[in-house]
Amino acid sequence: MYDISNSDRTTQRQELFIRLYKSAFPVVAKYVSRMGGSFDEAKDVFQDALVVYYEKVVTSPNLFSNDIAYLVGTAKNLWLKRYRQSTQNVPLDNLDVFDEEQETPSKTRLMRFLETAGKKCMELLKGFYYDQLSFAEIADEFGYSGVRSATVQKYKCLEKVRETIKQKALVYDDFME
Amino acid sequence: MTTSWNETQLIETHLSGTAQPGDALVFEAKFLLDNTLADKVIWQQKAYHTIQQFGRRQLKKEIEIVHQQLFTQPQHTSFSQKIRRLFGKQ
Repeated sequence: MYDISNSDRTTQRQELFIRLYKSAFPVVAKYVSRMGGSFDEAKDVFQDALVVYYEKVVTSPNLFSNDIAYLVGTAKNLWLKRYRQSTQNVPLDNLDVFDEEQETPSKTRLMRFLETAGKKCMELLKGFYYDQLSFAEIADEFGYSGVRSATVQKYKCLEKVRETIKQKALVYDDFME
Repeated sequence: MTTSWNETQLIETHLSGTAQPGDALVFEAKFLLDNTLADKVIWQQKAYHTIQQFGRRQLKKEIEIVHQQLFTQPQHTSFSQKIRRLFGKQ
């Protein structure tokens, strides 16, 4: 069903998420339940809080002295924003949330295309730009002989993805904002 | 001679604002003279955005796998029951 590579890094992330789930999800679930929300709502906001958390710690590993408190706070704020917005005013200042990307049919099609046809390049670029891995880590994980070959491959892949997006945008008329 | 991957790298340096002043000037001049370069800059910005979205989708899949493990595997039963009980009346 899922096609995630089973690298050591994925296993490490999995262990981290299990630990965070076990420590922080009960607190979030209790809060959402008390506020009259559902299990699915608690799951939804908690998982998005994990994404926000991950994106912060990959750039600054020592950002949080208390990661559980950060996760719980973010999940609570997300729940208030999404499910309580119409009934009360919630202060949204300093709220760490990412903008929900609007999924258009063409964006979904492009993503599916890149996930299949360009999977190897996308995984490499994800390593660089999303997971913020170093060149040495990339070379090790993707089997490049050294930093130089990883660098060349990175830019070749970036160019390939750039040209793919351009081509697809010309075909899908609802692609551009 | 500038190979295409060198050019892609130059665009990245330009977009990240980390180019040396001299290089930045050369890039600006090329940018004005070469329409295809301006076009590439625009699509490269979209590529970064798409990579970010791809990364997020993959991460969400990993998180969902963890969720399914915690709520279906026997070794996590006491955890999942504790959560389910909170929403028992729904």
